[in-house]
Amino acid sequence: MIHLENLTKKYGEFTAVSNLNLTIPKGEIFGFIGPNGAGKTTTIKMMGGIMDPTSGSIDICGINMKDEPERAKKNIGFIPDRPYLYEKLTGMEFLRFIGNLYNVDNKSFTGKAEEKLNMFSLLSWADELIESYSHGMKQRLIMAAALLHDPEVMIVDEPMVGLDPVAVRMVKDLFKHLAGEGMTIFMSTHTLKVAEDVCDRIGVINKGVLIATGTVGELKKKSLLVDADLEDAFIKLTT
Amino acid sequence: MPGFLDDVLILLRPRFLSFKNPLVAANSKKEFYRNLFLGTAGFLFWIGIFIISLRTLKYFYRIEGLGDILVFKLLSMLVLTSFSFLIFSSILTSLSKLYLSRDLELVHSMPVSGNRIFFARWIESTADSSWMVVIYTLPVFVALGVVNKAGLFFYLNTALVLLSLSFIASGISSVLVMAAVFIIPAGRMKSILLFLGFTLFLTLFMVFRMLKPEQLVDPDVFATVVVYLDTLKAPSSPLLPSTWVYDSIKESLSGSLRSSFFHSALSWSFVSVIIFINILIADLIYRRGFSKSQTASSRVFRYKYSDFPFTGFLTGASRAFVVKEIKTFFRDQTQWSQLLLIGALVIIYVFNFSVLPLERAPIKTIYLQNLLAFLNMGLCLFVLTAVAGRFAYPAVSSERDAFWLVKASPVKIKTILWIKFFIYFLPLLILSEILIVATNIILQVDAFMMALSFISVLLIVPGIVSIGIGFGAAYPDFKSENPAQSVTSFGGLLFMMICAGYIMAVIILEAGPVYDIFMASVHQRSMTVLQWLRAVISFSIVIVISILAIILPMRFGEKGLSKVLP
Repeated sequence: MIHLENLTKKYGEFTAVSNLNLTIPKGEIFGFIGPNGAGKTTTIKMMGGIMDPTSGSIDICGINMKDEPERAKKNIGFIPDRPYLYEKLTGMEFLRFIGNLYNVDNKSFTGKAEEKLNMFSLLSWADELIESYSHGMKQRLIMAAALLHDPEVMIVDEPMVGLDPVAVRMVKDLFKHLAGEGMTIFMSTHTLKVAEDVCDRIGVINKGVLIATGTVGELKKKSLLVDADLEDAFIKLTT
Repeated sequence: MPGFLDDVLILLRPRFLSFKNPLVAANSKKEFYRNLFLGTAGFLFWIGIFIISLRTLKYFYRIEGLGDILVFKLLSMLVLTSFSFLIFSSILTSLSKLYLSRDLELVHSMPVSGNRIFFARWIESTADSSWMVVIYTLPVFVALGVVNKAGLFFYLNTALVLLSLSFIASGISSVLVMAAVFIIPAGRMKSILLFLGFTLFLTLFMVFRMLKPEQLVDPDVFATVVVYLDTLKAPSSPLLPSTWVYDSIKESLSGSLRSSFFHSALSWSFVSVIIFINILIADLIYRRGFSKSQTASSRVFRYKYSDFPFTGFLTGASRAFVVKEIKTFFRDQTQWSQLLLIGALVIIYVFNFSVLPLERAPIKTIYLQNLLAFLNMGLCLFVLTAVAGRFAYPAVSSERDAFWLVKASPVKIKTILWIKFFIYFLPLLILSEILIVATNIILQVDAFMMALSFISVLLIVPGIVSIGIGFGAAYPDFKSENPAQSVTSFGGLLFMMICAGYIMAVIILEAGPVYDIFMASVHQRSMTVLQWLRAVISFSIVIVISILAIILPMRFGEKGLSKVLP
């Protein structure tokens, strides 16, 4: 479903991501963790088609991002780490904007939009300007928008930032449910507890290099800290 | 007091460093050359003002008996206008600096008292709101000094009193802003002030224009001018700070040092008074006003969801962007004043042509009408360039932080740029055609000139819009708090210069053949083969340039924007 091959990104002399190879099958939740500046957001931006890699390739649902970026992006629900939106639109108008961009069928739009807004407890705010939303509400609106066109792949950068505990629980359950229905989720996070709770597999990136991948148990083994938690394993692997 | 000043200096340090660092360590050669280009353009503009002022002043002084009066009236008007500009600019800047800037939350969380934060911000605001007014009025004063062969004291004194005027304007503005924000939340206050300010400006401007000031140079009404000049001698109010500054400059020019010093001292003593009053008021209400501005303002309108039915013929991305652009444009109150400005511009533009005294001109009316119609085409397109600079050029920058949505969407950058092109092309074309057709009707030009103007505008408007969108995309500014100001950047300057070059090229290419066709028509004779050939070649080149002006900037913009990261 997601296939990254020798993915590299250089900013001048500095290599942000180096020869990243990954394959994530359909229905898997893949966690991407690493210290600040390790290359997580760069990787996510390349996967979302926001940034071109220096070399290497990205395939989303078998479609190459370089050759057919528009077709590849149609299969992605992208959630960035900071919820910047068009502040002068209402929540519902924003969803209509996204619906039009992703060619969501007009007939089913209203039902779908209301369902998503309801799912993220935003239905009563549907006709309010986004500028009056809190940070967490904007984050929830972006999630609702990312799911509107029923993507096969979801790429999420720091999904839980700004969310209250109830919303965090809801999002975790939602991700598991969506993965159960066959959606592939690639998620970068600093919240190791979330990664531990939700992800089927986790990749650890440090200084642009993928240093370990596997289940939580496999990562612990790799760090030689079998009885420790993911946090200890992470620190051991990255320092 | 040392503690007070130390805190203020610490608070000002980030601003000082963010100004100094890019100068010391330019990130790239490209940035260095960009700054050099902008600096040179600014300097040339300064020199231009100086030369025009010098010539105007010399001309005035040659008018015996009236020269002195006119010069000093001009000086008085300049000081008063600068003071008004400073007040208006300071109100908007201090509102942003004191209540709306993004970094204020961080600053207010620090263990520093409200009046110190206020004072640091006030100094920043004073510098930001006044540097341009001061720098670009200075050449007029320098010219005044040169013409009058003034000594060093005049220049030093002028610089110092202008500085005091900036402090006074900023001080008065911040007192007004603090009091107003205490009553109305800052977020809404900015829109209200902008709207009121522009409405006031437009009303004054329209009233002034409707008074037909051009009649002052009409010999028939010269008696009125003499009466008018008599009123010019009337002194301004001694309570106005601008009067102290004017008096100080005037006295220093005539060599009365003591009197000049007295007026300068008056001005500077008021600076200290206004600073004292500001700190006092800031102590009382600044923090409370800031706290109030943190809460969201209550809604004025409830926006019921509607998807414009008239956009039903569009599909997918086109509809998404058209609806989004229209809605965000009309919901941004700062845009309303711009629309008012354009409305006033159209009225004044057409009005100017309706009052032209063509029948009294020494040249045959038919020549003049057609000559004016031809020149009007260029003028109208320059006006359009200014309007496009305000709307089409910032079209990409107005995506601001939400630009990631554009990049992540399954739509090509090229498509998005073309959608934006059409959003702005249609209204701008209608505006230009209204201007050109209305003024041509007033000028009573013949069918050929009407058709030529209409078609030329039809050909050139897409090029200007394309240059605006393309260069706006190649040099976007997503971080600006006001994307509309992006036209004052390096890319904006390039846009203006290229548009000016393009319009002039078209006018020059068309001038020769138009003259031939017009003369043949007036003398009722046919054109020679050579003249026909010249006409065909010239108009063909115009068509080719116009097509290139549409395609090339869009490609340039697409290439540039593809490299930009959100």
